[in-house]
Amino acid sequence: MLNNLYQTIWLVPCYALLGTLLVIPWSPGLNRNLGPRPSGYINILLTTLAFLHSLLALPIALDSNTQYSSFNWLETANLTISLDLEFSAVNIIALILITGLNLLAQIYAVGYMEMDWGWPRFFSLLNLFEAGMCTLVLCNSLFFSYVILEILTLGTYLLIGFWFNQSLVVTGARDAFLTKRVGDLILLMGVVALLPLAGTWNYTELAKWAQTTTISPQTANLLCLALIAGPLGKCAQFPLHLWLDEAMEGPMPATILRNTVVVSTGAWVLIKLQPVLALSGITAEVMLVIGAATAVGASLIAIAQIDIKRSLSYSVSGYMGLVFIAVATGLEEIALKLLLVYAVAMALLVMSIGGIVLNNITQDLRQYGGLWSRRPISGLAYLVGATALVAFPPGGGFWVLSEFIQRLWLEHPMVALVVILVNGLTAFSVMREFGAIFGGQPKPMTVRSPEGLWALVLPMTFLMGIVLHLPLLLGIAGLLPDWGSFNLGLISLLLLSTLLGGGLATYIYLNDRIFKPIILQPKALQDFFAYDFYTAKLYKLTIVGAVNLISQLISWFDRFIIDGVVNLVGLVTVFSGQSLKYNVSGQTQFYALSILIGVAIFCFLILL
Amino acid sequence: MLSILLWLPVIAALLVGFAPFSLKSDPPGMCLAARLRQITSLFTCLIIAVSLILLWQFNYSDSQGQFNEYLPWIETIGLNYSLAVDGISLPLLILNGILTLVAIYSIGDKVERPRLYYSLILLSNGGIAGALMAQNLLLFVIFYEIELIPFYLLISIWGGPNRAYAGIKFLLYTAISGLLVLAAFLGIVWLTGATDFDYQSISTLELSPKTQLILLTILVVGFGIKIPLVPLHTWLPDAYTEASPAVTILLGGILAKLGTYGLIRFGLQLFPETWRLVAPGLAIVGTITVVYGALSAIAQKDIKRMVAYSSIGHMGYILVATAAWTELSLLGAVAQMVSHGLILALLFHLVGIVERKAGTRNLDVLNGLMNPIRGLPLTSALLILGGMASAGIPGLVGFIAEFLIFQGSFTTFPIPTLLCIIASGLTAVYFVILLNRTCFGKLDNRLAYYPRVQWSEKIPALILAGIIFILGIQPNWLVGPTETTTNAIASATQLVQTYAQR
Repeated sequence: MLNNLYQTIWLVPCYALLGTLLVIPWSPGLNRNLGPRPSGYINILLTTLAFLHSLLALPIALDSNTQYSSFNWLETANLTISLDLEFSAVNIIALILITGLNLLAQIYAVGYMEMDWGWPRFFSLLNLFEAGMCTLVLCNSLFFSYVILEILTLGTYLLIGFWFNQSLVVTGARDAFLTKRVGDLILLMGVVALLPLAGTWNYTELAKWAQTTTISPQTANLLCLALIAGPLGKCAQFPLHLWLDEAMEGPMPATILRNTVVVSTGAWVLIKLQPVLALSGITAEVMLVIGAATAVGASLIAIAQIDIKRSLSYSVSGYMGLVFIAVATGLEEIALKLLLVYAVAMALLVMSIGGIVLNNITQDLRQYGGLWSRRPISGLAYLVGATALVAFPPGGGFWVLSEFIQRLWLEHPMVALVVILVNGLTAFSVMREFGAIFGGQPKPMTVRSPEGLWALVLPMTFLMGIVLHLPLLLGIAGLLPDWGSFNLGLISLLLLSTLLGGGLATYIYLNDRIFKPIILQPKALQDFFAYDFYTAKLYKLTIVGAVNLISQLISWFDRFIIDGVVNLVGLVTVFSGQSLKYNVSGQTQFYALSILIGVAIFCFLILL
Repeated sequence: MLSILLWLPVIAALLVGFAPFSLKSDPPGMCLAARLRQITSLFTCLIIAVSLILLWQFNYSDSQGQFNEYLPWIETIGLNYSLAVDGISLPLLILNGILTLVAIYSIGDKVERPRLYYSLILLSNGGIAGALMAQNLLLFVIFYEIELIPFYLLISIWGGPNRAYAGIKFLLYTAISGLLVLAAFLGIVWLTGATDFDYQSISTLELSPKTQLILLTILVVGFGIKIPLVPLHTWLPDAYTEASPAVTILLGGILAKLGTYGLIRFGLQLFPETWRLVAPGLAIVGTITVVYGALSAIAQKDIKRMVAYSSIGHMGYILVATAAWTELSLLGAVAQMVSHGLILALLFHLVGIVERKAGTRNLDVLNGLMNPIRGLPLTSALLILGGMASAGIPGLVGFIAEFLIFQGSFTTFPIPTLLCIIASGLTAVYFVILLNRTCFGKLDNRLAYYPRVQWSEKIPALILAGIIFILGIQPNWLVGPTETTTNAIASATQLVQTYAQR
């Protein structure tokens, strides 16, 4: 029975996809008489099914070897595209994480979206994401990874654009779609260019190919740089990070999913591609630099944000930067662990914040304060999430980060210091939010703020339990680092960074005698971080402006030059016809004259 | 069998045009136009059924023309009634039927002069079918030219305010296109000394390269007007924008495909040797067309004009793929013809609905049509689907076609292919602009008293969306009939290459 569950694990994405398709009857253009709620319940049911299926298949997966399976999707003129699948314990754990988080997010949505009319659309999109991510996890082919990333780009557009009445939502959806699409298309170039070279898109075969190939370094560099562009966009790394911040205009339950597992899809593809990327030394360096720059830069930006959701979203970019560093330095296993630990912790933070945003209406940190007495459960959940995210023993983040920096220290000591710095900055950032929201005196916006509906609190507390037990689970699975190998000096430095960052934030933001909001001097520096290095403005002036200008120019050229010439020819024809008609006078002398002139010209030409 | 596809629409057109329906016998509450529409759609369904029977009986492993019909006609000038279909023309024939059915339902049921209107639509269907099946060069030209009459009338009678200008421009351009094609065909036959215009009996291998080059250039320019290629395209935005949605669907969906079809059938297949010479140039022209179309579309304020420019861009991919002439790229070219026909038809159908209901096509005025109560939610949802299919999002048919083209052309023309991929990003830009402005945003409550979208308008769109989706999930059905033929063309041209090199 259980064995069958493992063999049929490919059904997991199908459940979710079925949920997406089953809401079609709720389309308002087809039927206006169905109430919206059943559509949500159907989707929750199917997600539960997917979750249970993958959970029950885990014991078998832990005992068996990796299995492969393949379906032919398109077989045509010397091109065969097959959907290669890979079943392994790591994949099943990822499936459990995705389906589990999606289940919690959907239950959370029952509370969060209680009064919304768009249930069918919302739940079907959540399940579309689940289906896409589950397929991505199971599939072993670069082509289908690209396909799914691209479909998820569309999904992001629709999900961010969920409340499409608001102008910020509309621009946010647009920017998310276009930024991610830039990354996807460069990835597509890589996918197209890879096939003639390697002859396959199967990750396993690509790894074999990468070891024996003799392509020129230049080709390898171009290819690998194209391949990392897709993940770069998905993981919201510099310079394609803009979208994640604007994506915060979408509904909160979608943010739970997006900030944790959706951004991780890029990292997953990156980890799968690592053997190919190893072909190009430059690519590894580019990844390292981008990862480090994003990690530090985004953490700094997070501290300067006054919007809670946006502040969290920059921390997401920062952590994804750490994952990039891990892949660039060849530590894929740590990258995977980091993704797992990070995903649950961040989900908990987002859930806690979501409940608070929902009934305090505002997202502005400056208007918050004094919620600890009113929202103890949310506050506790936030603290648990924060300690699990940063290196604070015994939370999950501590174990992964300490292993990470010790491995980095051997070859890239500077990068290890960067990780420690990012940890300290993130600790400051999350504790700053904690202090601003829960500490201090209640303000007008926070006076009336009870804990939310059960649908909000239950998934949050459940997840809190998971986060607290995660180190234990990791220990059982033998994934925790060995005590004996600890470099105590380095670990103390890591702990110090956490305590310093967190402590400083706590001191500043729980202290009523320090005037808030803090104004950094010079103001320009603070603005520089608060406005995300002015990236949006920069893009508007450069790329967007250039495309806009060129298209206007071409349109003008089309209208007045190309079409103008055509119309001029037409005009000349009409004009000459109009003027020639006066030659037809009806007088014999005139005709005789013209015949004479004609003959004369002919004679002249012949004689010449 | 094939003659049915050709003559059934003509008979139907005569019936619709002249049969003595009296207004009295109409069922109550049904006007003549609605009645005629029923009859027309009945015949169109018959036509589709016949073409599906063809598909069913079609031998997938035969690369040559099938269901041959041959009847000597005017032998003194070499004109014979010779019909056949192969893997390239069969998908287009089916597309022709489907798009005609959609077109019938995309103008609303109260059309003026319904007899003339529906019979012209049927005539154009028959003419296109004839051009696709003709195996005699002269016969092809006859159909290719005869097409213009119904389309000219359809544009200039039922078009928008500027229809006279658009109609004349369309007529002049495409008549010149027809003349150039005729000139090239005459040149081919006279110079090779062939006894008739039959496709099978013509071989240009004996001609000098220079003559071949001249003839091929004339042919490419002739078909290039029809496709259209930049800078021969200026008839298109005017014609597409001024014509009614139904006519635009037929114009862009299937008539323009005659250009690319002709390019493969008569350009590539008759002049394989010279094609190699001009291919890099054609790839560049194709790439320019793609980029130019996409960039022009971004600047448009009128949604119909925007979709029209997008059509120019998407036809450019077909030229790049044809120029690259690998097995995969030719397959991609045919797939793109079908997929572009389906997607374009869906988009124009929906734009037509938006225009009829909201009363405007201006991007600055339209807003918030996704509104579930007072907006056009289903139309908007399908518009998103169509736009995304056009932008090449996987899971929809547009992606398959474009991907085959990219993958097939990359080995031959890497740089133009990469530019085409970038241009598909620009496609996303203008569709996002279109969707954000029309579907998203806030509906203006003072203006939003839109008429209901009727089922007769929804169902064709749903059918098209279904086909787009199914072929995107199961592309084997799209490429299956074509594969053998395009493989044969690619290998035959390669044979010729080696022959020429020797």
